[in-house]
Amino acid sequence: MTAALTPTTLFGLGGAALVGIGLFMVITHPSLLRRVVGFNLIGAGIFLVFGVIARRGAAAGFAGDPVPQALVITGIVVAFSATALAVALLRRLFDLTGRRDFDSEAPSASQSRGEP
Amino acid sequence: MSIQGLLLPASILLPLAMALFCLSRNFRAKVPFLIVIAPLPALLAAVFAPDGTVVFFPPPFRLSLVLDRPGAVLLGGAALLWSAAGAYTASYMGHEPSAPRFAVWWLLTLAGSLGLFIVGDVANFYLLFTLASLAAFGLIVHEQTERAHRASRVYVVLALLGEAFLLLAFVMLAASHPDANPLIRDVVATLPASPMRNGIVALLVLGFALKMGLVPLHVWLPLAHPAAPMPASAVLSGVVVKAGVIGLIRFLPFDAGLPFWGPVLMTLGLITAYYGVAVGITQTRAKTILAYSTVSQMGLIAVLLGVGLATAEAGSTNLVAYYAVHHTLVKGALFLAVGILAATGGPRLRPVFLLTAILALSLGGMPLTSGALAKLATKPMLGYGFLSLAMALAGAGSTLLMLHFLITVAGDMKRDPGSRAPLGQIGPWLVAALASLVIPWSLYPGLTGEPLTSLLTPEALWKVTWPMLLGGVAMLIVRRLPWLSGSIPEGDIVVLAEAGEPAIRRVVTGITLADDHLRRWSTAGLWLIGLVVLFGATLMLQN
Amino acid sequence: MTSLATAEGHFTATNGYLLVLAVMLPVCAVLAMLALGPRHTARVALGTLAVGLAVAVTIAVELFRSGTGLVYAIGGWSPPLGLTLRADGLSAVMLVMTAVVITAAGLFARAQHGLDPAMRDGRAPTTFWILLMAIWSALNVVFLGEDLFNLYVALELLTFAAVPLVCLDGRAETVAAALRYLMFALLGSLLYLLGTALLYGRFGTLDLQMLSGMQASGPVVSVALALMIVGLLAKAALFPLHLWLPPAHAGAPAAASAVLSALVIKAPVFLILRLVLDVAPPEAARLAGQCLAILGGASILFCSVMALTQARLKLMIAYSTVAQIGYLFIVFPLAAGTEDLPVWGTIAWTGGALQLVSHALAKASMFLAAGVIAEALGHDRIAELGGFGRVLPMSAAAFGLAGLSLMGIPPSGGFVAKCLLLTAAVVNGHPWLAATILIGGLLAAGYVFRVVDRALATPAAPLHLRKAIPRRLEIVALALAIAAVLLGFVPLQPFGFLQIGRAAHVTVVAP
Repeated sequence: MTAALTPTTLFGLGGAALVGIGLFMVITHPSLLRRVVGFNLIGAGIFLVFGVIARRGAAAGFAGDPVPQALVITGIVVAFSATALAVALLRRLFDLTGRRDFDSEAPSASQSRGEP
Repeated sequence: MSIQGLLLPASILLPLAMALFCLSRNFRAKVPFLIVIAPLPALLAAVFAPDGTVVFFPPPFRLSLVLDRPGAVLLGGAALLWSAAGAYTASYMGHEPSAPRFAVWWLLTLAGSLGLFIVGDVANFYLLFTLASLAAFGLIVHEQTERAHRASRVYVVLALLGEAFLLLAFVMLAASHPDANPLIRDVVATLPASPMRNGIVALLVLGFALKMGLVPLHVWLPLAHPAAPMPASAVLSGVVVKAGVIGLIRFLPFDAGLPFWGPVLMTLGLITAYYGVAVGITQTRAKTILAYSTVSQMGLIAVLLGVGLATAEAGSTNLVAYYAVHHTLVKGALFLAVGILAATGGPRLRPVFLLTAILALSLGGMPLTSGALAKLATKPMLGYGFLSLAMALAGAGSTLLMLHFLITVAGDMKRDPGSRAPLGQIGPWLVAALASLVIPWSLYPGLTGEPLTSLLTPEALWKVTWPMLLGGVAMLIVRRLPWLSGSIPEGDIVVLAEAGEPAIRRVVTGITLADDHLRRWSTAGLWLIGLVVLFGATLMLQN
Repeated sequence: MTSLATAEGHFTATNGYLLVLAVMLPVCAVLAMLALGPRHTARVALGTLAVGLAVAVTIAVELFRSGTGLVYAIGGWSPPLGLTLRADGLSAVMLVMTAVVITAAGLFARAQHGLDPAMRDGRAPTTFWILLMAIWSALNVVFLGEDLFNLYVALELLTFAAVPLVCLDGRAETVAAALRYLMFALLGSLLYLLGTALLYGRFGTLDLQMLSGMQASGPVVSVALALMIVGLLAKAALFPLHLWLPPAHAGAPAAASAVLSALVIKAPVFLILRLVLDVAPPEAARLAGQCLAILGGASILFCSVMALTQARLKLMIAYSTVAQIGYLFIVFPLAAGTEDLPVWGTIAWTGGALQLVSHALAKASMFLAAGVIAEALGHDRIAELGGFGRVLPMSAAAFGLAGLSLMGIPPSGGFVAKCLLLTAAVVNGHPWLAATILIGGLLAAGYVFRVVDRALATPAAPLHLRKAIPRRLEIVALALAIAAVLLGFVPLQPFGFLQIGRAAHVTVVAP
């Protein structure tokens, strides 16, 4: 058992846990802001997985593969933009309607029915 | 390409080109008066192009046109009726603001329905069939009444259903063929040996029976034909239903025969023939009675096709075409007559009514008319057993129905002695009526191989007279049953189908509710995870 | 990604630079717009549209001429470390289709912005042009990219450009629709990213060609592919993951809806196609293909019925998009290749590609026509459209012709596509798929006819137009619809162009 609990395994489990917690938040929480946080948790989990892969040296053969790190950096930029866009839209929605979620009323097409 | 060869493509391209020119405002104003010339190339082709003329257009059109005997007979009759009805239209509605729109649909339907008689390859057959079916929608809905809307809705649903059957049948037919767009006769030659034979034939029969209006797929016909303006009813009932006839002629293997499907068609046809009469005599509107008579007559044609298929008699298609062209001209002329009678009064009424009566009774097989010729021409096919008797009784039924039509139309006539139908309507009507009386005589020797004198023997005359007398007697009985009149609504069993609407509505409501549920965030999220697990498991299973 | 920025200045001797041009041109246009300010955006955009269209056509011609795929290794670095852009027959077709639809949407938007003098150089048009160019660039990367992470960035760029387009008018319900779209798309991209990480961890490369050559298999590949495919499904809005699409596509301005419905959702579908056919081991691909086909079939039936029940025109068209996307997924079992007939040589493959293109043209045309209707009448409630065919004949004709393609009625691209798929279903013995294709066609006919019937109807009170509609606004939709109909004249057989650059890759990459 001790052999299995190397730092890589531990980080891998940590990444998996983060993804799991994030998914749970995103799917079950009606509050939009929490969902945005949830997305970031999932993202963090995935980046951790990338880190583990880098540590393991992937299939490229050498220890400490730098490529995943490059990917993580790019990924963080993308995740940051996504969060920014989501928060901006959320803010706008809140300004317009005062709503913080959109499942409180039925998501049916009737929402916008009758309007051009 | 010879001059005669050019006539074939021109019969499709001229009406299409005219429809295209309607983009020009000037042409659009004139087009209602020009539609009379649209079918002329087809008429010339039918008369002058020799049988067996083949025209092929290379890719990307991949269109092949073939003129054979049954095709030429049907093409000629149909083109004549289209032309006469077109001339009638000019006078009937030419100056109305909606006339150009009507003319465009008219030209498209015309191109499709005439093209079907000469097209030789599968893909273009389907294209023209679709063109004729869908463009007819514009003719049916033209008057924009509630009735027309209902009729066109029912029509479109069933027409598209027919298209779907046919598309599947054609795809199954062509699937085994190396060429992507084979000639119809090539694929039909392989049909009897095809492993999917019964499926294909069932789909073909369903699709074309829908177009012909065989029971129980006839429901659209008594709704749609009367709903259209008078000249459109004439061509719909006269020509457009023949798309189903030419389809069966083209796609069923009459050379090899199909011993199982022949009797199926015969049974369907006989049921339809009697059903059309039985429901027809309860109707109170003249145009609806004529529509039911079309249903009944299409049943008779289906019987003839069934006999041809059962006996593997390749020549039977000629006789079927002969019967069909008789019906084309007579039914077209009768629909036009309804309009003329409605507009005529006083002393002119009598000759008009007399000619109408001759036309009507011709459908029942009155001696010396085209109806008698058609019945005598097809008699030898039927033999002398049960089938022959059943067909003779159906002739009695037709007589009965036509007498009912005459009584109804006489009741509707105007009493205003001063009114007269415009010459522009009477002329085309007379042309169609006379053509229906004359053309069958000229075709008879060529198609049956019998001399015309054989028609005048007392035996031949009696063969067609007794069913008429029987029909007359039946009429006397029916007249004593006043409750019959109006007891069955137009379109008969469609009313039953429409009663099923609440059930459909419930299903739709269920789907809407399911959609509302699926589009909830958490439901969709769970689906997302579920799908990941599902795909992971399926991919894993294979490793 | 950084690769985009470094791509400039590395023109190689081959015609590969065309691919870089296709990707970079719209990016340069965005930069120019930001630099020159709102007064010049439309001019820059129109110029870019013309050049971009020419580039796309040149790539297609080049491919046709040489008969092999175009490859460009960015910076001269080859995989696994470097990134490549690669155009084969299918991607060239997608590039041209994208260019055509974007150009049409641009011309339409230009004419529409011109209707309202206050709008001409306002904020919304400027934003629209910038986002349109960003979408174009992202789409081209998706169709040309070979590296899975590169594709992830392209997909994200696509989403980030598409989401603001949805809420361009700033009303509350469109903002809500945009948020819903963004969040579900993010969920999808995160799944995709996780899959990418797993694949990299297993193979040490993300290059599609190399992965395909490695005959990848094993549990890691299965999990990774499942994550990536489902993530892409969420972005493609296949039933039952379509929650975001109807409000988003119905709420966007007409030109944006056209681009979203015709092109943006095709990008993930294109990637699924590549993953299943190129990366997944063949036996696994077969079973996954069956699952995808089941979802596709359900999508066709379910969402067609939903389209039938919609009261608003744009929502109806949006549901129809979900239904039509389903046809692309039933291709998988139909295109099952054999030893001597590769997948891309089958008629179903051609049928699928043709469906993709004809749907793009037809759907763009429909959304533009609906935009004209909404612009002219001030609403798009189907029940109150009676007689719009009289006042807007060209838009009604465009709607009808585009409808032919959706219904699969000849002559139209949709008909040829459905005919090929149907033939494949019959030949391969898939009666249920054949039935689904036919029923889907009938339901499509139902919702198209509902509108056509209104177009031809005589209204109780004559319709009056809110504003005069210039002809050049209507003609764009009509031109697209006619293009969709003309596609019906391609031959009913496997289409050679789609195989370019396909057959070769097996020999090139085989280890």
